[in-house]
Amino acid sequence: MGGLAVRVQEESQRAVQVELPAFADIVREHQGMVFSLAWHYLHDRALAEEMAQEVFLELYRHLASIQSPEHLLFWLRKVASRKCIDQTRRRAFWPKFGLDDIPEPSAKTRQADPMLSGALAKLVASLPEKARMLVILRYQEDLDPSDIARVLDMPVGTVKSHLQRALGVLREKLARTVGEIAL
Amino acid sequence: MSNLEDDLRIALRREEPPADFTERVLARLNQPPAEPTWRERLAVLMRPPRLQWVAVAVIVSVIIPAGVQYRKGERAKEQLLFAVRVAGTKLHQAQHKVAETGRMGTRL
Repeated sequence: MGGLAVRVQEESQRAVQVELPAFADIVREHQGMVFSLAWHYLHDRALAEEMAQEVFLELYRHLASIQSPEHLLFWLRKVASRKCIDQTRRRAFWPKFGLDDIPEPSAKTRQADPMLSGALAKLVASLPEKARMLVILRYQEDLDPSDIARVLDMPVGTVKSHLQRALGVLREKLARTVGEIAL
Repeated sequence: MSNLEDDLRIALRREEPPADFTERVLARLNQPPAEPTWRERLAVLMRPPRLQWVAVAVIVSVIIPAGVQYRKGERAKEQLLFAVRVAGTKLHQAQHKVAETGRMGTRL
């Protein structure tokens, strides 16, 4: 029975492996989300691209276990978050960037102040690992605390308290930064 | 700063990767697996049951001879200390005799 199950899984994996065009469509659909998570977290374009590629390579190997489009989205966010956090731990990486590295705005949902956005992105990147990912998932992906808790395997209460604390820190640092710029 | 959350949404909006991102991912899928690094080779070597044989080899070739040498050294040290103690006792006895003989000569 177990052997049969394994064979069925192998068959489905083989079937999945043949469908490269379909996989390419999945990559195209979600590359912005995965790349942005890595970019906002790592603040290194080359590293973010490398990381995003690794996420999709891992997805390709696990494609047979994906059950639905919602599951795919959840899986991508979870793996991308884990890889980003692992990356900073492994290399004791800390973002090194200037305001020039902050990309120009492309969306016009609200009157964007590039300087403010740049300063905010820089401040987000200076948050501790988990808090940084929480803020990115909350404001890039617009996830609510219960979804973030599922992605990061954290209690919802911890997510809420970390978010509140991170917002407090950002508010305080931003006030100081804006003050310095005004001077 | 009541608009902080809106500002964060703008600052953290999604970005698209380079235009050829998908092609690069697909190209990596077709690449042969990379040569294992020295760390990976070491990890394979240390994986059981090879690890057990490595441990046995280390014990046999290093730890056991070192233990034997240590015990030999300890025994030699004990023997030397015993010899020094015996020599010390004998020397003390000889000094005592010399002193006694000297005292007897003075009395005569």
